[in-house]
Amino acid sequence: MASRSQPDSRRTFLKKGLLGGFVLSIGGAGFLLARSTRQVALPGQPLAVLDPTEYSVLQAIAGRMIPQRAGFPTVEQVGVALNADGILLRADPYARKEVKQLLKLFENALAGFVFGGRLRPFTQLAPEDQDAVLREWQNSRLEIRRTGFQALRTLAMAAYFGSTLAWAASGYPGPPEGFHQPDAPVWRGGGAKRPEGNGVYHPELSRE
Amino acid sequence: MSEGRIYSGDEVPGDREIACDVCVIGSGAGGSVLADQLVSRGLSVVMLEEGGYHTRSEFDLTESNAFPNLYQELGNRTTDDLSISILQGRSVGGGTTVNWCSSFRTPKRILDHWRDVHGVEGLSEEALRPHWEAIERRLHIAEWPEDRINRNNRVLWDGCGKLGYSRGLIRRNVNNCANLGYCGMGCPIDAKQSMLVTIIPDAVEKGLTVYANASARRLQLQGRRVASVEVEILDPKTNTSSGKRLTIRPKATAVSCGALNSPALLLRSGLNGRGRVGKRTFLHPVVIMAAEFDEPVEAFFGAPQSVHSHHFVERGPGKIGFFIEVPPIHPMLAATTFTGFGLPFEQMVTRLPYLQACIAITVDGLLPGEEGGTVGLRGGEDRRLKIDYPLGEPHWEAFREACKEMAKIQFAAGARQVASLHFEPVVMRSEAEIGKLDRAPWEKLRVRVVTAHQMGGCAMGRDPERSVVDSRLRYHDLDNLFVVDGSVFPTSLGVNPQETIYGISRWGAQHVAAAV
Repeated sequence: MASRSQPDSRRTFLKKGLLGGFVLSIGGAGFLLARSTRQVALPGQPLAVLDPTEYSVLQAIAGRMIPQRAGFPTVEQVGVALNADGILLRADPYARKEVKQLLKLFENALAGFVFGGRLRPFTQLAPEDQDAVLREWQNSRLEIRRTGFQALRTLAMAAYFGSTLAWAASGYPGPPEGFHQPDAPVWRGGGAKRPEGNGVYHPELSRE
Repeated sequence: MSEGRIYSGDEVPGDREIACDVCVIGSGAGGSVLADQLVSRGLSVVMLEEGGYHTRSEFDLTESNAFPNLYQELGNRTTDDLSISILQGRSVGGGTTVNWCSSFRTPKRILDHWRDVHGVEGLSEEALRPHWEAIERRLHIAEWPEDRINRNNRVLWDGCGKLGYSRGLIRRNVNNCANLGYCGMGCPIDAKQSMLVTIIPDAVEKGLTVYANASARRLQLQGRRVASVEVEILDPKTNTSSGKRLTIRPKATAVSCGALNSPALLLRSGLNGRGRVGKRTFLHPVVIMAAEFDEPVEAFFGAPQSVHSHHFVERGPGKIGFFIEVPPIHPMLAATTFTGFGLPFEQMVTRLPYLQACIAITVDGLLPGEEGGTVGLRGGEDRRLKIDYPLGEPHWEAFREACKEMAKIQFAAGARQVASLHFEPVVMRSEAEIGKLDRAPWEKLRVRVVTAHQMGGCAMGRDPERSVVDSRLRYHDLDNLFVVDGSVFPTSLGVNPQETIYGISRWGAQHVAAAV
């Protein structure tokens, strides 16, 4: 995949003020180092938004956000990165692009060195070091990194807990059955009779 | 007049021009009530909705379907820095399709404040009362009986009772409600009396035409008048442009896109209201406390909001007040809203059926000099709104005190443990530990702040230099443009906003009709 030689000059949520610009430029210029990403197996179906590196990084982040535990399906079983790819496909194109940049920055070894003195990309770190990196972003003195953490956390959590596979882990029994009617009539007016239940006004039922 | 119709984007055959009396942009609490009032007066009305036409046939009670279909930005709308998450509806019916049914009349002190501080004229309790009464009848708004409140709300009820805090039962717009608890995902049995199933169909029967998947991009001006509305038809499946366009040519236009989106449409149209459009945006910023109980709470079931406490809504000069309610707790919203990661986070998740949450909703915009947030555009092809909301010392003070009060309530009701939603949660095992919250970091992006109430941005007022619309909801510098939704509030409300919007819209319809 072709990498940009110049970081995007557009003002993004990662590029606020001088420091933000510096942070983003690390993400753009350090692309060579990202080659050493530990790639995970891609899903059977093609990805719409994420490239293999971004996919691997997100899966690794999610793997530490929601680590293996009895009763919890793994992030691979839930397909967190694939679900996230689907979420991003429906998101605004600019939001999509920013998440991709953020994932690259998060993985980038040069950024990791500047922030935390680590020389290896995120996906190559031991689990406890990965947790330390996540915590550094979460609690950083730089607001921009806390923003980045919040974005990645939200995406990973939505992609995991949006799945019905994750319901059992939380003890959530799922919605009550027998109420949703997929074949309920869809009324559009145009002279058709308004179906019962569609808010038809029954004056006798209203309080007076 | 012949019956109207609701069209989805894929039913629009191609580019069209449509003449009408009034174009109402937005189908939420403001737009729907207005449109119904106008067709009842015999006017021809076209209502546009950017979101889709989703009905109970699609409301399968899953978060993974509800958020993409029924919320702005798939539920991921936020301020620019991600410090405040914004839940806002987006489909036919707007926020009313997904809100939690809480219905309050506007507090008198707020209407008085608008009159005294912002020069709003004619918007008194007396003027609004007949409109509220009519809406309450139509939407079956009634107090939820105490014997039907769920355990999540019961904690707030009991805790306030033990502490001697004022408490009340919430009035809800429901008819034959089955007490399921899924109001936020679209009611599967049409029990919620949202605009989707009440006033919009009523108005369609009287001739209203609704276009869903219809994104108003720009108002075209001619002198002091809006001459046309340029509309992009979206593909209902992908939510991207279909390439088809509508041009609406109305005699009068009402912008009812809701706070955040209404100012954005004005700004896209080159209308900045002497620099006031998008300013004074208020969010009722919310902080949350999570409590764990020994017995199951099952906060995912049962009417989501049925109890409120306005005990702390007025806290004296210089302080921001707050009121306390509860949210439903479903897995995805909980996981994305709660904080932390890894094993401690998972431990909390495993206790989901035992979790209770309280929310403190802070009443912003009432302090002297408090300007709230700003909505702007990013320019170019980037269509996302630019939303900034600076949180100052009075906000943090209110958040801290609110969290302490919520913890007291939760412990009083028997909580075994209470946790804040700090990025590093503050965990307390008894009331004696509540002081820990004084030492916690009260800074943005170190604790979760969210909002489900968006207000302001097109403030109503007398002075065109300080407001966007006048006391007839008319844009100050144009003759036939009105803003009719929560964006005209000069401050926040101190109560859940839907009924205030209904009331102002029904009251304001006379002014829109008079401009035709």
